[in-house]
Amino acid sequence: MTRSKQASDASQNELLRLTGITKRFPGVLALSNVNFDLKEGEVHVLFGENGAGKSTLINVISGVLTPSEGAISLYGQPFRFSSPQDAREQGISPVFQEFSLIPDMTVEENLYLGREETTHGFLRKKEMRRAAMRILARLGFGIAPNARVSALPRAQQQMVEIAKALVTDPRILILDEPTASLTEAESARLFEFVRELRAQGVGIIYISHRMREIRDLADRVTVLRDGALISTVHAQDVTDDEMVELMTGRKAGVLYPRIPHNPGNVMLEARDLHTVRDRVRDASFQVRAGEIVGIAGLVGCGKSELVRAAFGLEPIDRGEVQFDGDTYAHPTAAQSLEHGICYFPADRGAEGLAATRPILENASMAALPENAFSIRGFLRKGSEKSRVQEIMERLQLRPMRLFAAVGSLSGGNRQKVVLARGMTRGTQVFLFDEPTVGIDVGAKAEIYALLGELVAEGAAVVLVSSELPEILGLSHRVYVMHNARVVAHLEGDEITEDRILSHFFTDHTDAA
Amino acid sequence: MTTATSPRSREFVATVKLLTFPLLILAMFGLFAMFEPRIASARNLVNISSQSTYLIVFALAQTVVLVPRGFDLSLGNAVSFTSVATALALTSSFAAGLPGYAVVVLGLLTGLACGTAVGLFNGFFASVLGIRSFIVTLGAMNICYGLSATISGGRPVFNVPEAFTTFFYSGTFAGIPAPILWTACVAIAVHVVLSNTVFGRTLYLMGCNPRAVEVAGLPRRKYFAIAFVLSGALVAIGALMLTARTGTGEPNLGGNLLLQAIAAAVMGGVSLSGGRGGVFHAITGALFITVLSNGLNFLQISGYLQQIILGLVIILAIALDKSRD
Repeated sequence: MTRSKQASDASQNELLRLTGITKRFPGVLALSNVNFDLKEGEVHVLFGENGAGKSTLINVISGVLTPSEGAISLYGQPFRFSSPQDAREQGISPVFQEFSLIPDMTVEENLYLGREETTHGFLRKKEMRRAAMRILARLGFGIAPNARVSALPRAQQQMVEIAKALVTDPRILILDEPTASLTEAESARLFEFVRELRAQGVGIIYISHRMREIRDLADRVTVLRDGALISTVHAQDVTDDEMVELMTGRKAGVLYPRIPHNPGNVMLEARDLHTVRDRVRDASFQVRAGEIVGIAGLVGCGKSELVRAAFGLEPIDRGEVQFDGDTYAHPTAAQSLEHGICYFPADRGAEGLAATRPILENASMAALPENAFSIRGFLRKGSEKSRVQEIMERLQLRPMRLFAAVGSLSGGNRQKVVLARGMTRGTQVFLFDEPTVGIDVGAKAEIYALLGELVAEGAAVVLVSSELPEILGLSHRVYVMHNARVVAHLEGDEITEDRILSHFFTDHTDAA
Repeated sequence: MTTATSPRSREFVATVKLLTFPLLILAMFGLFAMFEPRIASARNLVNISSQSTYLIVFALAQTVVLVPRGFDLSLGNAVSFTSVATALALTSSFAAGLPGYAVVVLGLLTGLACGTAVGLFNGFFASVLGIRSFIVTLGAMNICYGLSATISGGRPVFNVPEAFTTFFYSGTFAGIPAPILWTACVAIAVHVVLSNTVFGRTLYLMGCNPRAVEVAGLPRRKYFAIAFVLSGALVAIGALMLTARTGTGEPNLGGNLLLQAIAAAVMGGVSLSGGRGGVFHAITGALFITVLSNGLNFLQISGYLQQIILGLVIILAIALDKSRD
C-alpha cells in the first residue's frame, strides 16, 4: 500500500533518505534496519512507544549519533554527518525535549549562542536583536528578546527553543514532542506555524504521542516498535485505533476506564486560597473520597499552583486548607504527607526524582519517617525493600530492578516510581499534576487504570491536566481555572468540551 | 529494546569498579617500592597507616558536606583554630593539676565546641539564609584564620599535657595505636549515619535533587545545616589527633589539609556535584594521597614539587568526577 503511494508523490523533492539504518549500543540494539525519508513541504510524524527508537533515529538524523550501519542521503547526495554542527550547517535543525537553553542568559543571547554575528570580532547586538524580534514575532508568543530564560514559564522556554532552531532558516526541522508543555491554545498557534513552514517547503519530522496532533498535522506517519520499522503510512489512510495497534502490536482497548462515582467524606478542602505571588487568587475546591476531581485551564492559569499551595509547596498569603478535621493556614508538605495527602509533580525530572539514586530510594522517599521504614531515625532496610517490591509489583514495573538508577528508566517507568511514592504510605488523597506528560499511550492506559483502582478503593483523586480529553474522560467533577481564579465548577453532564473551553477564554469573573 | 546484561554480570561489573581504585593504589605503591625497597618495609607500612588516619578523618568531614551538594573551604583553618584553642585551654592555669581523664575530657569538649561552632556558622548561613556554601565557608576560612592568629598571638602553644597526647596519639588500646582506633571509630560512625539513617539517606537524595526532597516532605534545610555541624565535629576530632601528634597548638596546622581533604574525597569517588560517595571512597582517596606523598618523600622529591603534583592530582580528580556523570 505504502509503496504505490510513495511513488505517486515523487513529484515532491526528497530532502532526506535513510536506508537500512542500524544503531547498536553496548548490549542494546536501538535501531534495526530502519528506512525513512522526508520530502519537501511535508510533516512526517514518528510514532512509537517510549523506547521504540524515535529519539535514537532523530539523533542519527541530527548528527548526534553515528549509525552503526546504513546510508544517509541528503538532498539527493550521499552524506555522512561528523557532528551536530555539521548537520546544522546542512540545514537540519533539531528541537529536542531536553532544553538546550542556558537559563541565566537572555532569550536573544540563547538564540545566537555559538553563531553570534560579529564585525571584526565585535558582537552586532542591534542586528541580532532585530532578527530575534522578527523570529519571535513570527511565532507570535509575545516573548521579549531581553527576558532571562530562567524567568520564563516552561511553555515559553519551549517556544524559545523552537525559535532557536529557526534562526538558521533550516530546510529540515525536527520537533520532539513540542507540545508536551503547551496548552491547547498555544499548541494551536504552534500548529499554524508548522503549517506555514510546510507551505514554504520546509520538511518537518514531528514526534508526538497525541493522536489529535497527528490528525491535525501529519502527511505521513512512520511507526517504530522496539527499534524496528513497522510501517510508513499516509495519515488519511489509517484510523486512530489502527495506528495505536501498529504502535503497541496489540488491539487498542478503551483508553479511559469507566470509574464509578461514589462520593464519601470531604477529604481535602481549600477555602479562598490566595498565594503570596498572586498565582492563585481566592480559589476554593474540595475533593471527596471515591471521586476524581479534574482541574482544567490554560498553562499558567494557576491550576498547578492551586494544588501545590494546598499541599504546602507554595507560600500562602490568606485562605485556609482543611483536612483530617484540622484547619491549616500554612500547611507544609510534611504535614500533608502525614495526613495521607500526596502530591505528584508535573516535572518529574526537576521535582520528583533523584536521577542518580536507585528506584528503591526514590520510591520510599516520602515515607521515610513512617514506622515501616525507620525507627528513631534509623532505616529499616529489609522492611523498606519488601514494601517497595510489593508496590512496584502492583504497578507492574518492568524490568523489576529496585537498585537501578532512576535516570536509566523510560518515561513510563519513571512515572511509576513517582506513583509508588504515594503508595508507600497510607495515602488517601492523590494530587496528580499532569500525570501523563511525555508518556506513551500504553503507559497512559496503565496509569488511568490505576486511578480507577485507587478511586474504587475509596481514595480521593485530584487531576490537574492541560490535556482536555483526559479531564473529560476521567473526571466526575471539574473546576475550571482562568487567570488565577476558579471560574467554573461543572458536574456530571455539564462536563463537555465546549463548556470547559468557553471558560478557558472568557474573562467574565475578572470584572468583579 | 532489551539489554544483554544479566543481574549477575551487572553485579560483577559493580564489584570490579569498586576494586579498581584500591588496585590502582597498590600498583602505585608497588611502583614506588621498585625504586626504593624501604617503602615496602613493615615500618613504613605502619607509618603510612598512621599518617593516613588524619587525612581519612578530614576527607570524611569533607564527604559529609559534599554528599548533600555542599562544599567546605574552612576545613584547614578550622583545624588550626580548634588546635590552638584546645591547646590554650589545656595549658591554662585552670587546667593545671587536673587528673588525666579530666584533661582528656576538657580537650575533647573544647575541641568539639570549636569545631561544631564553625560547622553551625557554616550551616546557618548556607541553609537558613541559603547562601552558597562555597562563599560562606570562604568567609569562615578567613574568620578561623583571624581567630587562631589572634588567640595564639601567631605563635605555637607549647606544653600540651601528656595525658592528652597519650590518649589521642601515642597510646595504644588493646594493641591498636590510638590514631588508628579513633579513626576506625569515626569511620564506622559516619558509615552508619550515612547509610543507615533517614538523615544520611536524605543527604544523598538532596545532593541529587534538592527540590524532590522538599516535595517529599523531608526537612532539607535542617538536614543541610546538621551536615555542616557533623562535619565540624569530624574536623575537630581530626584537629585533636593532630594536636596530640605535634604536642603543640599550631596556628599554621591547617595549611595543606583543605586541598588534601578535597583531593582525597573526590579522588576516592565522592562527587563534587553531590549525591554520590561514602566512607569507603573517602578512605581509599585518603590512602591514595598518603601513599603518593609517602613515596615522593622517599624518592626525595622536593616539597615544592610535591605541591605542584598535589595540584595536578586535584585537577585530575575533578576531571574524573566530571567524566563519571
